[in-house]
Formats: sequence, structure tokens, C-alpha cells
Amino acid sequence: MLNTFLKGEKGTRLRFMGMLLSAILVLLSVFTLTQKGLNFGLDFTGGYLTEFTTSQSVELKELQSFIAKNHNGEFELTAQGNSHFQLREAPTTSTTANSLDWQSAVTQNDDINAQVLSSAYIGSQVGDELFDQGCLAMFTAMIAVMLYLAVRFEWRLAVGSVVALVHDLILVLGLFSLLQIEFNLTVLASLLAIIGYSLNDSIIVGDRVRELLRVQSNNVLSPATIINNAIKSTLTRTLITSGTTLATVASVWLLAGAPLQGFAIALFTGIVVGTFSSICIAATLPELLGLSAKNYEVKVDAHTQTLLDMP
Amino acid sequence: MLSFKKDKKPSTAKFKLSYIAMLIVLVLLAISALPNLYPNKSWLHISTAPHSETQSLPSTKTLVTFLNNQGLEVEQGVDKQSTINVLLNEPTKSAQAQAAIKAQYPNTQVKIVEHATSPTWLQDFGLSPIKLGLDLNGGVLFVLDVDLDKAVDEQLVSAYQQAKSIIIKQKAHGVKAQQTQHGFEINALPNATDKLTPVIEELQSRFANLAVVTSNNGSVKTAKFSYSEQGRSAFDKEVMGQTLTTLRSRIEELGITEAVTQQQGKHRIRIELPGVQDPTEAKRIIGATASLGFYQLKEIGGQTFNMQSGGTIKLDPVPIFTGDHINNANIGRDDWGKPLVQLSLDGQGGDAMSTFSKANIGKPMATVYSEYSQNAKGEVVKKSEVINVANIAQHLSSRFSITNMKSQQAAADLALLLRAGSLTAPVTIVHEQTIGPSLGSENISNGLAALMLGMGITLAFMALWYRRLGLIANVALILNLTSLVGLMSLLPGVVLTLPGIAGLVLTIGMAVDTNVIIFERIKEERRQGRAPYQAIQEGYKQAANTIFDANITTMITALILYGIGYGPVKGFAITLALGLLTSVFTGVYVSKILSQTLYLKMGKKAGVKAHA
Repeated sequence: MLNTFLKGEKGTRLRFMGMLLSAILVLLSVFTLTQKGLNFGLDFTGGYLTEFTTSQSVELKELQSFIAKNHNGEFELTAQGNSHFQLREAPTTSTTANSLDWQSAVTQNDDINAQVLSSAYIGSQVGDELFDQGCLAMFTAMIAVMLYLAVRFEWRLAVGSVVALVHDLILVLGLFSLLQIEFNLTVLASLLAIIGYSLNDSIIVGDRVRELLRVQSNNVLSPATIINNAIKSTLTRTLITSGTTLATVASVWLLAGAPLQGFAIALFTGIVVGTFSSICIAATLPELLGLSAKNYEVKVDAHTQTLLDMP
Repeated sequence: MLSFKKDKKPSTAKFKLSYIAMLIVLVLLAISALPNLYPNKSWLHISTAPHSETQSLPSTKTLVTFLNNQGLEVEQGVDKQSTINVLLNEPTKSAQAQAAIKAQYPNTQVKIVEHATSPTWLQDFGLSPIKLGLDLNGGVLFVLDVDLDKAVDEQLVSAYQQAKSIIIKQKAHGVKAQQTQHGFEINALPNATDKLTPVIEELQSRFANLAVVTSNNGSVKTAKFSYSEQGRSAFDKEVMGQTLTTLRSRIEELGITEAVTQQQGKHRIRIELPGVQDPTEAKRIIGATASLGFYQLKEIGGQTFNMQSGGTIKLDPVPIFTGDHINNANIGRDDWGKPLVQLSLDGQGGDAMSTFSKANIGKPMATVYSEYSQNAKGEVVKKSEVINVANIAQHLSSRFSITNMKSQQAAADLALLLRAGSLTAPVTIVHEQTIGPSLGSENISNGLAALMLGMGITLAFMALWYRRLGLIANVALILNLTSLVGLMSLLPGVVLTLPGIAGLVLTIGMAVDTNVIIFERIKEERRQGRAPYQAIQEGYKQAANTIFDANITTMITALILYGIGYGPVKGFAITLALGLLTSVFTGVYVSKILSQTLYLKMGKKAGVKAHA
């Protein structure tokens, strides 16, 4: 491997450097995931739900900023009417002062003059079974995809695509853990979208590798060169698709505001990382695993050979 | 599947046939998507409450003035014979108006009813817009109370019954079980004290949370069973968890994907269902407590059960197995056309059934149907009925059916409940309310604006980069969006949320990929010196394999997520899978025909000098 790395052409060197970078990023992500964990949102943790009414109608925005001043943690305020609101907040761990703070503030403020109707603990929106089922689903999906690709392509390319997929998911999770961005059901949905995107990207590069390998079955070019050629010929496509998708996600990120922020961040990272990994992992790993044109030589029996040899 | 015709110029007949087929599919999907241009409007239907003393409604004018004063501007107020129908300027505030009217006029009944606004011919086809989720359109909120005390009582009675049968089974003479105020106790006479321990051990292995205190009362040894505080809270937690799981799967069985089910406080459950107009069916299924048990008949001792056909019967209080071991249940009809429920048991249930039926061929077995209901005093009581006693004709295994169902509806409900699991504790709906959307209208319009912008950028880019081919891609893209929306409107379980819309546009964004792959390939072929028409043929042909592989793998993922996932994951998987289907359809087939037509015509007009 070291040999290829030093002697290879420019493209190959870039690919291996990218792979090294990926490995470092994965290690960092795993490190922050184990150290900091994910900042699970109310959907997952549960929390407190407080319903209150105000004596006169208040704008949701004003109330939101008023409570934000008197609340240390994160909360979710929804309007049930002009003077009827619901506030969801995470259970406070260290002190209970947080939740009392805003409640006394809104009840004592003369303009708002709120009256708390009820306050109760709310369990998580997703059961424990979702977590188990989710893991099972992901695992099954990966095995199935790997099997399909192994049959259609070759096991080395299949491993490359699936490793690239796992890489993308770990990096996105790592970012969410590092920045402690809230991980809620919407972000989970975007992870699922990343799976689709990442696979798509890896397969398109992998498919071209296969095609060129088949053509080059007489071993003129080294696998490294073939992979480089495959990447070069799909690069425009990769950049255009990533570009248009990123443009969509970026406009959601900039314009849609809070409800879709986590969704947009996850997807944006996922697409950038996915494009990167389709080149540096999905196409490079098979080379390390010993991919060569020989894997694609068509085995022909004597009968077919004679048919082929016929003029 | 994605093979393309090898001949350079397709025969006109073939060409026309596929052209027509494609057109029919596109038109059908476009018609299904059409109702989305006419979103439903939420009207308030105000009528007198059924049991109110005063049978008078406020006049339409008074009501409209009242709502306007509340800051809820009325767009239209219609006076029907017995109801007043009101449409607000902002229909999303209907839930709020409902609460305001109820508070002001307690004798009225206010319903929120969705009125379709699409032309009647679309409604006649049974077509409707995609249902909107809790965040966009609100829905119905139920708060259920779980009767944990009742569940504990039931559990203690069951433990007592089982204690009695354990004593008989172990032939522990001199040992006797007896019910007490807070549970039950087992007494052992002096000569039988050694037989007490195995009974206690057996019982504790079946009821882990039960606490036992042994004492010597003179020469009699007594073991008192009850729930300790710790055991009780462990039991409560278990029951709540099980109830939540069961309710979630029942809601899923009803075909509602984007519902929110969570625990509220210690013994309540909060369920939010999106856009459910008539919650009667949901209520019937959510609150249902029906369960099944299969019992052996007893001539001596045993518990007395009522027969559905009248009379009583004595059964062994310990069931052979219960509904918990049922894997799958479906409705069917017997030879006389009467409804029945076909069951298949899991491993444990199958084993129990197999051993029991083998040893008892020719003997009868009873099927007991139990349900909680409220009696006249408002107390929750359990009603158990033997619906069926049948002789075991042969050695049964894990598949058999229950006959003698009252009606088709009863059979269908029982099958659904058996699939979703039964509730250990009775639940009652204590609160029902219509709720408004959880996202503000500003959030929604911002989100939509962002998506429009993203879509616009994509369309503009494609048109600039690929010129004429780009226009084809854009037409394919818009057809793709129409087809996807059409498909989603046709499926009853699909609910659209704001993240769902974002996912939808993302799917469309990724669908561009199909065209990009093909067009890049065409450019490559052109560089290799092929004529435009051949380049297009070759480009589509070469790209087809790649597109096929990429979409199949993603489809595998989507199907697995749909099969194993739950709730929001399932909803996302549906959108993903449908998006793949439509993008292959429009991106490969439709755009191929479009480009062929375009270049074929141009080839005739201007020779081969078209640019790609």
C-alpha cells in the first residue's frame, strides 16, 4: 500500500490521502460520540409539557423571546390559540430552578399574566423498540445491499460501497455530537435520505470501474489507473448532482428556519461527505482489497469458445 | 428490464404503442395529483348538543360577530337547517374557534369537517389531496387513562387462581390458598410445611414482582403474597410500556403512520392522530380491551364462566395459552359463510397447543373472549364469555381458526386486536380534543419558499448547462413531481409533514441525477464521434445499467426500512420508494421518448446538424 501511495500517479495519491483523512475523521467522530454522545431531542428523551393561557392574546414570537430570556434550556413553544399555549421542555437534571423560572416570569408579567393549566411529564415519542428495530433494519439493509452488489458487481466493490455508507453516517453523527445539535426524529429521517444518496453515489463510480475493467481485461492498465479513469469520467456527473442537491438543501437551511435546520445541516454534511467517500473510499478500498481486471474475465467453456471463435 | 431496442430507428408501430401507454400513465397520475391544487377547507359545523335542554342555536349573525370579536375572522357563514357552517379566514385556527364557541355556548356541539374544494368530477372518482400531518394541519388528541389498580387486582386474582392449580398439580395436601384483603395467602398445616416451599417457588417464577412474607401462626405456616411498593412500581412500568407498544401497533394497524404516542404523567397516555376526521373508528380500536384465552374444561372445581349462548360452564382457571402467543390473525368464512378468525401461533403457543391437543383428543376446549366495559355505575368491569366450545378432533399445531363470531365487524376487530396485541390494563379515553397545527403558518410558508427556491435553482441550472436536453430533463422533472404527488395521493396511508415535503423535494433533486448520468454519457458518445441520434440511443443504453443498479440498491434499503421500521421511518421509506419508481419512469422512459422525438423530428428537418 505504501508503495502505491508513493509511486502512484497524482489521482491515486489524492485518493489515498483522502482515505487517510476519512479514517482520521471517523476516529475523531467515534471519539466524540463516545465522549459527548448525542444531544437527543424531546422526541427521544421525553420531558415536561405545560399548558397555560394568557389573559389577553399574545403574539407567539413575542412570547417565545420573552420565555427565552427566562429559560436556560431548550424548549418548544406552540400556540393552541391566541391566548392558549403549550410548552415542551427537557427534564431538568441538575436544578429544578429552570422550569420554575419561566413559569413565575410569565405568571407575574402584567402583559402576559399567564395561568398554568397543567404541567405533566411526557414520555418519549419513540419507544425503546424503535431503537432496536431501527438498528435491526439498518443492519439487515446493509447485508442485503452488500449481497446484491456482490452478485451484480464483485465483493470488493460491494464492501467499498457499504464501508463508504457507514463512513458517511458516522461522520454526520460525529458532527451532531461535536456541535451538540439536537438530534430529533427529523434528523433521523435525513440520515435515511443520506443512506440513499451515499449508495447512489458509490454505485455510479463503482459501475464505471466495472465497465472499464471489463473492457481492459487484457491487463494493459493497472487497476489504479482504471479507477482514476472511472472517477475522471464520472466526475462531471458527481459534481453536477451534488451541486444541485446541495443548492436545494442550502436554500432550506437558509430560508426554512428552525423546524428544518437540523434536517438541512445533516443532509448538507451527508452530501458533502457522501461525494467525498464515493471517490476516496468506495472506489479506493476495492483496490486495497486486490481488485483487478482478472476478477472480470469471463469464464467460457469449450463450447462457447468455439462459438466465439467462429468467424 | 431496462433493455433498449437495438435497432437504430424504432419501427413506428412500436414507438407509437409505448408512447400511448406512457401518456395514459402520465395522464392518470396527473389527474390523481390534481386534487392537491384544491386543498380541503376545514369548516366548523355548529349544531345543538344532543342532550341539551335548550334546543336553540345562536343566530348565524351572532356567531359570526362573536368569532370576529375573538380575532377569528370569518370568511363565510352558511345557515343550514339544523346546523350553522362557518369557514374561517385561517382554517388552521378552527381548533381554537371550536374551543371558543364551546366555552361561550355550552349547549352547542362543534365539529370540524373537511370540505373538499375540488371539482365534483374529481370527487366522483374518489380522488382527494394528500393528507397533511400534525405539524401542518393538526389533528385529534386523545388522553387515555390506564387503570393500573385494576391491572394489579387482575394480576393478584390470576396469581391466586394459579396458586390453587399449582397446589393441585403438585399434590400438596394440607396446603391451601385463600384470598385476603390485599392479596392472598397460602397456609400450610404442620404436616405439610415442606410442601409449601416448592409451591412458593413455582409461583414466584411466574410472577416476579410479587412479594412474599412467610410467618408462623401457631402451628400453621402462612405465606402472604402482595405487591410491595417496589414490585408495584416495576409492575406499573411494565404495564405502561406494554400498553404503549400495543397502542402504537394498533394505530399502525389502522394505517395511520405519522401519529404521536407518548406517556403523560404516571398513568396516562397521550395520542395525537393527524387529520382524523371521524375518530369513531380510531376510538373503537384504541380503547378496545378484547383478549382471547383458550381453556380446558373442568368437571370438579374450576371457575365458572358464562356462555355466549346462555348458561354457564366450568373451566380450569389457568389458560392453555392466551392471545399473547398469536402471531397472525386474519378473517375468513367457514363452510356456511359465517365469519371466523384464522390464527397462527408463535413457537411457545404452538408447542402448548400441540402438547395439549395430543393428550386431549376427543375432549373439549373452550375459547374465552374477555373485554372490559363500564357498568351502569361507571365502574370498569371485566366481562368474560365463552364464545365457543369445540371437541379437539385431531392433533392441532400452530394454525387453526375460531368460529362462532357474532359478525363480520366483530371478527375483523378481533383479528386486528390479536395482531396488535392485547392490553393488560383497561384504558378509558378521558379527554378528546381537536388540536391545531404544531408549526406556525410562517414556518410553513418559509419552508415552502425554501423548497421553491431549491427547485428553481435546479431547473435553471439544468436548462443553462444542457440547453435543449436540459429542457427535456426539466419536463421530465416536473412530470416526476406530478407523478409522485399523484401516487402519494392515491395511497391512503401517506401523510405529508414538513420534513416529508423537504424529503420529497430532495427526492426530486436526486432524480436529476438520472438525467445527468444519461446526458453526460451522450456527450461522451458525441465526443467519440457519433451522430446525435445514435449518441442519444447509445447514451440511454449505456446509462441504463448504472441507473438500474443504483436504484435497485436504494429500493432494497427503502423496502427493508418499510418492513422493519416504525412510524416516521416507515413514512419516509414510502416516499423514498415511490420517488425511485417515478424517477426511473420519467427520467429514463419518458425523457428517452422526448429526446428521440425531438431529435428524430430535427434530424428530418435539419439533417444531422443538431447539437447535443
